[in-house]
Amino acid sequence: MLNVTDLHAAYGNIKVLNGVTLSVPGGSIATILGRNGSGRSSTCKAVMGLLPPMRGQVTLKGKELAGLPAHEISRAGIGYVPEDRQVFKNLSVEENFKIGIQPAKAGRAAWTVDELLDVFPRLRERRHIKAGFLSGGEQQMLTLFRTLLTNPDVMLIDEPTEGLAPKVVEALAEVILEMKRRGLALLLLEQKLAMVMRLTDRVFVMGRGEIVFSGSVADFQADDAVRRTWLEVS
Amino acid sequence: MKTVLYIGAAIAAAALLALPIFGDLGTMNLVIKIMIAAIFALGFNLLWGQAGLPSFGHAAYYGIGTFATIYMMNAIDRGGWFPTPLLPLVGAGAGFAFGLVAGWFATIRSGVYFAMITVALAELVSAIALKWEGLFGGEAGIRSIRTDWGPFSFQSTTSVYWLTLIWMLLVMAFLFGLQRSPFGLVVRGIRERELRVRFLGYDTHRVKTLVFAISAAVSGLAGGLLAISDESASMVLFQGSGSAFVVLNTVIGGAGVFLGPVIGAALTTSFAYFGANLSHFWMLYLGIAFVVTVMYAPQGIGGAIAQRARAVKAGEKAAFGTGDLIGIVAFALTFLGLIFLIEITGTICSEQYRASIASAKGVWPPVRLLGYDFNPLSPLPWLIGLLSLGAGIAIVVAQPHLRRPRLLDLVTTKAEAGK
Repeated sequence: MLNVTDLHAAYGNIKVLNGVTLSVPGGSIATILGRNGSGRSSTCKAVMGLLPPMRGQVTLKGKELAGLPAHEISRAGIGYVPEDRQVFKNLSVEENFKIGIQPAKAGRAAWTVDELLDVFPRLRERRHIKAGFLSGGEQQMLTLFRTLLTNPDVMLIDEPTEGLAPKVVEALAEVILEMKRRGLALLLLEQKLAMVMRLTDRVFVMGRGEIVFSGSVADFQADDAVRRTWLEVS
Repeated sequence: MKTVLYIGAAIAAAALLALPIFGDLGTMNLVIKIMIAAIFALGFNLLWGQAGLPSFGHAAYYGIGTFATIYMMNAIDRGGWFPTPLLPLVGAGAGFAFGLVAGWFATIRSGVYFAMITVALAELVSAIALKWEGLFGGEAGIRSIRTDWGPFSFQSTTSVYWLTLIWMLLVMAFLFGLQRSPFGLVVRGIRERELRVRFLGYDTHRVKTLVFAISAAVSGLAGGLLAISDESASMVLFQGSGSAFVVLNTVIGGAGVFLGPVIGAALTTSFAYFGANLSHFWMLYLGIAFVVTVMYAPQGIGGAIAQRARAVKAGEKAAFGTGDLIGIVAFALTFLGLIFLIEITGTICSEQYRASIASAKGVWPPVRLLGYDFNPLSPLPWLIGLLSLGAGIAIVVAQPHLRRPRLLDLVTTKAEAGK
């Protein structure tokens, strides 16, 4: 579904992506691992059009997206939850939901506010208060749900579990699996291995702006060298 | 709390309906000017309060609306078919058209850069109006007359009053609905976090351009009503003070409350109307009122009322406590002191006063203030001024809840909103 081919990008003179190639089929979860500065977040930004790609393709269901402005990429079906999730603080929780709602793509059931609130009922109790008053974890879930209500085909989630209480992580895992069941392509970016290892179908490891490993969870766990070279901090 | 709101609305409605029966011509003209200023400020606040875009050049769209309407009035006078009651729509259309172009350029940037572009565009329009006498009539301006339409006569001030009132209510309903619509939600989202709104699939530049144009259209509509009321337009409309006054009205009334700009427009317009008769220095007092509002109620009078209403509802504060009484006494004393010092200093420094000293052969005539004659050479009026000012400030300093100026809060909230 989402295909990235030979993607190059730079901040000014500093090259951050050196030919990233990856693909995520519908109904599957892929995770990009890598240390800080390895190019994980830059890959997402380049896909979203925030970091203009110098070379390479980004296609969603065959449609070329590279070079389009962010809102058109979103309309094409990519939902993006950035690392610094920010809610609309002075809008109510309910308004935060409403602002994002888009009709579902053909052949897929639309997400509804109600079913998402069933997964994380704390937001239901607080739906009339301003989102700025929510706790950190609640704000993260709200941002995720808001993006999901745009009914995307692909979800890019930067550091989904960062700073979440264990109970919230459980709710999050449930939503992620439900997204997979509904045929979405998920791309998670993580530093930590713990939670995603039991969800993900495929692992990519990034280093110096390139994909240095790609394989199944079993392949990844068998490959000590990759972990030592590209992930563990010595 | 809701009951209080309904009672207030009922009183306001009754007063507006009864005014043409009981009010004199002067009062009716004042209320017409207030309603026009209120519409202008509501339009401005759509951009500032809702979208978080501070335009400092909104007089341009107001003036364009006035001139467009005057030209249409002349066309009607020459036998055009356009219905007089719909004339404000001509102003709105002109404002919208210019707003689309100006807004497209201005909203490429946010915050201070946006504000600077709006100032530059307004200065450009002002300069053109000054030079292009053929179109804008030079210093004399352009005159026109109201034409009757069907059975409706528009010659009396009362008819202009009703027309302005109806248009004000229409604009309020329109803007209130817009604020609650999905479009209004996206606009508020842009004020909060523009980039996130783009991630949700909205072309934010297009939305900002449109909201700018709608704001300019409402301003132009207000200008159109001014053309109907005054039957004239002049390039003075384009000067910076027009842009400043709408900001003043919105800040004093409160940008975060729907009717805040209306409160501000009512206060400053009345103040200008009465103050200009009472003192030469009324603008200085208005400036002081602005500074005090920004320091002690940065959310504006409307915002302060709304905040208090919420606190009362939550049981945190009384509707009116001793603290408020002390505050009012302190501000009254401070203002009394300021009035004495400003009026006497201002008067004895004026050329007119110098001339009267000369004609009285060196004797300083008394200065009339609040109905009494004061000798500016005696210490009495100065002492009253200084003591009153000192006492007022002393109370403010001694009261912890009055002491803290919140100027920085305002700057930071506006800066955040501008991001």
